[in-house]
Order: sequence, then structure tokens, then C-alpha cells
Amino acid sequence: MTGRYDDLSDEELGRRLVSELPRHAAPPHLARAIRAAIPARAPRLPWLAPTVAALATALVLALFFVPVLPRIVPADPTERLVRAVVSEHTRVVMWGARRAGEVAPASLPELTRETGVALARTLAGDDQLTLVGAEPIYVDRRRGIAIHYRDADGHLVSYIAVPATVTINDRDRVQIDRWRPALLRDSGFATWLWRQGEVACLIVSDRVSESEMDTFKDYFKRLRVATEPLPAY
Amino acid sequence: MGADPDFERDALAHLDALYNFALYLTRSAAEADDLVQETYRRALRFSHRFRPGTHLRAWLFQILRNTFFTFYRIRDREAAVAEDGVPDWDVPMFHDAPDDDGRATETHMDLERAMRRLPEEFRTVLLLAEVEGLPLEEVARVMSCPVGTVKSRIFRAKERLRGILRDYDTK
Repeated sequence: MTGRYDDLSDEELGRRLVSELPRHAAPPHLARAIRAAIPARAPRLPWLAPTVAALATALVLALFFVPVLPRIVPADPTERLVRAVVSEHTRVVMWGARRAGEVAPASLPELTRETGVALARTLAGDDQLTLVGAEPIYVDRRRGIAIHYRDADGHLVSYIAVPATVTINDRDRVQIDRWRPALLRDSGFATWLWRQGEVACLIVSDRVSESEMDTFKDYFKRLRVATEPLPAY
Repeated sequence: MGADPDFERDALAHLDALYNFALYLTRSAAEADDLVQETYRRALRFSHRFRPGTHLRAWLFQILRNTFFTFYRIRDREAAVAEDGVPDWDVPMFHDAPDDDGRATETHMDLERAMRRLPEEFRTVLLLAEVEGLPLEEVARVMSCPVGTVKSRIFRAKERLRGILRDYDTK
């Protein structure tokens, strides 16, 4: 007697598997359960991508033009002058004076011509302040002269004289010997402001703390005594 | 966010094949249900990892088999024995085979019972390569083994299957 599975070749066994092995279809509830378990998709927002792209472009443009946008300037002319002078000082702190090391008596007439400020006397340096340079500047729509010094600790001290009429609040004034300059602060810098004839004079330094105030007062005295600016024209 | 609707449709087209494979792996309709549902949940969740143009059916079989190993193999169903002393995997699952004559039905039952007695790697290789007709390279990918190993497993699986069927013949 021959059995059903005698002499079953590989090919025949494969064929029987395909044709005779029961195949079980998924019950209908399974497909329903799977479909029900599929999380709902978030609705598409066709406007989202163009909006984000436009906002990103606007942001890039804004960042690009920020340096050339007009700055908010104080309404008070004195504050405006102080801010412009501090800005000039920070430029020199960052990049150095344009005419460093060129200050000599011979060059003063040319500086006077360029700035409209004559210097009857000027501090050429002492044991505390070393002259770095002098240069014409243009602050708050006025020509002026800037003389830069470096103190013993390496801090930059800027002396700036601008032919201008400024109003000084009495509450800002500080008594230093026989003088009463105003102490003003802007952008983290301290500034002495006083009138000397028809010239507004300022000294800017980053010595802003109370402990350094005596040093800053000492710089004022040295420069006030040794420097005498006059309007040239 | 859900998977792409096209992907969902394409994946669900293989539901019957996956269920059949799951049933032969778990030998239980309820567990096959769970296994297939978990397979689809994973496939849809990780649909972004599927590379379009590759064999979706093989990818789904691979997920199903990995899921089976992760969750169902732990139960060690090989040791399960029913009250009558017969291992529950030796009872045919076959209920809806064509009933043209008694001999054909018997053959169906023999094949199914014999398949269920094969070790998992032999069962899987025969189901994927012979019954589902997957290329050997895809079977190798599903089983994470070289193509040569797949060929050798097919040969040994058929040998084992033939031996079991002969046993049924003599009884």
C-alpha cells in the first residue's frame, strides 16, 4: 500500500503547501479595529508654509537693516550731545583713534581749521594720562575736537570740545574744587560736562563706579586746568 | 500625526497575509488578532522609516515577526498542554477548508498540523518562501539571516515536514 506522502519531492511539497495549506483570512472586526486605531491626521494648513517663509524673510531683512535704521535719540539737546560723545568714545575704544600719535604742535593749526576749535592750551600728557591722539569729530551735527588719553590702567579717557550752547541741570552738578561740572551717565559710561566760554567740554570714561569717582574727578581737574579750548571762528 | 493615507491603504492590503502568518506563529486566533494589531500600530507609527520602492509586504512581515519575538515568544507556548493531554498546537486551526471530499479535508488538516509542529524558523521560512512566494532575499531580510541560511532552512524544513506527514500516513 502506498501512502499519500510517500515519494513527495521538494517541488511537489512546495506545490501542496501553496494549494492545500489552509490560509486564514483576517476576520472583519480586525480590519475595523486597525482602522479605528489609526490616529487622525492633523488638518493640513496650506497657508502655514508661505506665512512662515514670509515671516522669516521679513526677519532676515529687518536684521540686515537694523544697523542703518535711525536710532531713537533723546529729545533733550544736552542728553543728545552726551549720547553722541559717548558713541564717539566707544568707537575709539573699539577701533582706535583715526589719527593716533599725530598730535604735535605743528599739526594743531590744521586741527583747528578742520574742527573750528582752537586750543590755547592742551594737556600733552602727565604721570597719569598719556596722550593717544587728537582728531576732528562730528557729533550731534556739530564739528568738534576729540583728544584721547590712556590712563595708567590702560583705560581710554576722551576729552571732547564742541562749540555749542548746552543747558546743565543744577541737580547733576558735582563740586570739584572751584568747578561744578555735571556728572552724566549714558550707555555704561560716565561723562563730565561743563561750559568753558562758548565751548561745551566733555570727558568720557568707563570709570563709573563710586570707588573710581575720585580718580575720575582727578582726571577732570587735570584736563580742566591744562586745556583751554576756544571757538576758532 | 498619522501615516500617509496611501501608505495606510497599501499596508492594509496585506492584512490577510499578515493574519495568516500571525495565526501560524501564535497558534491562537485571539493572539493573532493582537499581534496583527500591534504590527500595524508599529508600522504606521514608523511609516517614515519605510523606503518607498522596497517590498512593503516583507517589511510588514519583518515587523510582525519581531513583535512576535518581543511579546509572544516569552510565553513559551511550546509547553502548553490541553486538559486531554494533547499539546494545543497539535489541534488543527482549520475550519473553513473546501469540503469537496473527506480525503482532501484530511490532507489540509495534515498539512496544517504538520506545519504547526515545525520549529518556528522552519515554519516561517516555508510560509514566507513557499506559501507567500517572497523572494529569498526578502525572506532573508525578514529573518535577519543570509540567503544561504534561508535555502538550507527550506531544505531542512521540507525534510522535517515530509517526515511528520509520513508519520500521519502510518497512523
